[in-house]
Amino acid sequence: MRDIAAASARASGFFSAFAPRGKTVFFALAAIAVCLLFAFPVFWLVLTSLRPGTGVYYVHRGTEFTVDNFREVLSQEIVVRALFNSFMISTLATVLSLGVTATSGYMLSRFKGPIPNTWFSLIYIFRCVPYVAWVLPLYFVTQQFYIFDSYWGLLLPHIAVHICFFSWIMKGFFDGIDPSMEYAAMIDGCSRWGAFWRVAMPAAIPGLTALAILCWLYTWNEFLFALILTAHETPIVTVVMAQFVHELGMEWHLMSATAVIALVPALVVTLFGQRYVIRGLRI
Amino acid sequence: MIERPVSFTQAKPEPRRRPSFHLGSRMNEKTGFMLALITPAALVLVLFQVVPILTGANASFRDWTLHDPKRTWVGLANYTHVLRDAEFLAIVLPNTFGFMIATVALSLFFGLTIALMLNKRFPGRWLVQSFVLLPLMVAPVIAAIMIRWMFNDQFGVVNAVLEGLGIAPISWLTQRWTTFLVILLTDVWLWTPWFALILLAGLQSLPPEPFEAARIDAASAWRTFRYITLPMLRPVMVVCIVIRSIDAFRTFDIVWTISGGGPARATEVFSLYAYVEAFQFLNLARGSAAAVIGAIIIVIFALLLYRILNRFVEVSR
Repeated sequence: MRDIAAASARASGFFSAFAPRGKTVFFALAAIAVCLLFAFPVFWLVLTSLRPGTGVYYVHRGTEFTVDNFREVLSQEIVVRALFNSFMISTLATVLSLGVTATSGYMLSRFKGPIPNTWFSLIYIFRCVPYVAWVLPLYFVTQQFYIFDSYWGLLLPHIAVHICFFSWIMKGFFDGIDPSMEYAAMIDGCSRWGAFWRVAMPAAIPGLTALAILCWLYTWNEFLFALILTAHETPIVTVVMAQFVHELGMEWHLMSATAVIALVPALVVTLFGQRYVIRGLRI
Repeated sequence: MIERPVSFTQAKPEPRRRPSFHLGSRMNEKTGFMLALITPAALVLVLFQVVPILTGANASFRDWTLHDPKRTWVGLANYTHVLRDAEFLAIVLPNTFGFMIATVALSLFFGLTIALMLNKRFPGRWLVQSFVLLPLMVAPVIAAIMIRWMFNDQFGVVNAVLEGLGIAPISWLTQRWTTFLVILLTDVWLWTPWFALILLAGLQSLPPEPFEAARIDAASAWRTFRYITLPMLRPVMVVCIVIRSIDAFRTFDIVWTISGGGPARATEVFSLYAYVEAFQFLNLARGSAAAVIGAIIIVIFALLLYRILNRFVEVSR
């Protein structure tokens, strides 16, 4: 998109009339403002996590800083277990959701007729149903299946949430892939499954990577399902950190420290994945 | 954008000329493949979405209060109660739709601006992009807790800054409109990166030729944007708007964390109304009825949006 920049540079407008470098300065200021706006709440979170428990009420005034909060949080067994559980759930949910929705998106993309139409209308409608309409009964359903407060009890509802949206996005990925390679493979004796698995799937990898990163982040940060569908057996990190300010008194410094620890994996995933996300999301 | 390739059936060699019984067996094999592809997804969807929804719908026709252990069938009584509730009609519905329109419009505007900015090459672009993606990494509930804390009227940093500027501190979370504004800001902060990401991906996949033509014709930046970028980006934007509108309609966690629907239920959105009816007033049936009414409203709304979406995507082809 150098072309847009070049075009705007050539058509000399408002800024270049006033000051030759005014436009660059304006652009730089805008970039800095955007950075500040997006970073400020996170910056504040990090700052709070570094203050001692007595200093959090005047974060902007004090000058003492400490890393004791992190030490204290990590010495609590429930936090460590919650981090591990969250990591496992996010990873498993990503793998399983992508596996389940890749086939469904492929079906929507490659076939026409009543079955794909029905399936698409169904997932479109179920995508719209508000969480409150089914999260509460879901609690009873997972108890009926004896999977309440276990990995499966949180994983399967998560996959159910992702099915509608991901199938739709996957359809977009497969729509962008020319199916003639699959016909060629099928003429050469490949089965339909072979054409799907060996030809279409490798071509969809950029999109799958992008979706995997977003899915992982989403599950890692999810709160409502974790709150309702888990108890003491399977602590989840979002619930544990919210409890620092809800149930166990207002321990802002501990909540912030846990939140900063939970931010680190997400940060790593995003920083290394952003290129793939932008490349893969060209729906 | 979504350029639908020739479907399998059309491009497969000579399916039409086969005798009919052959065609039949082929159809079965194809149908079997289609069904096998969606079976795992359908199974999870039925067990963990359809079954709970039906359970909730069943509850909405019964008297589910604590003093009726038999759970008598009461028909549409819960529905009429919700639809006659002044709170629901005069506050919850306008709040929900107002919130939805405002958050989608603002995040689209900021997301598009940031996407256009990030689409240029400049030193430090990677850094700006990483900053913009920060809200995606923070759990929304933590962001909401943090923002509630920042807007706290005694200890919050926002009021400290206002005080520094010589403005009297505002008690943000005790008035309807300021509370609404804080919730809105949080939602825009959380979702702008999402818009920016998808729009940036869309911008980068646009073909360069129209922009070259515009440059040769010395079109101004604004006209290039208005007559080339915007129309070509429209399908991606429409998809974003549809998905995000549906999500914004059912927002729960950030409103719950920031205001809990308060002050005095003035910022309740529809998910919160259902939750409060079910758990604070301990009437699961009435909460379910509210949830079902909301679901019906949003499904109708989504179907309308879908028609619009279809038209735009068709036009763009």
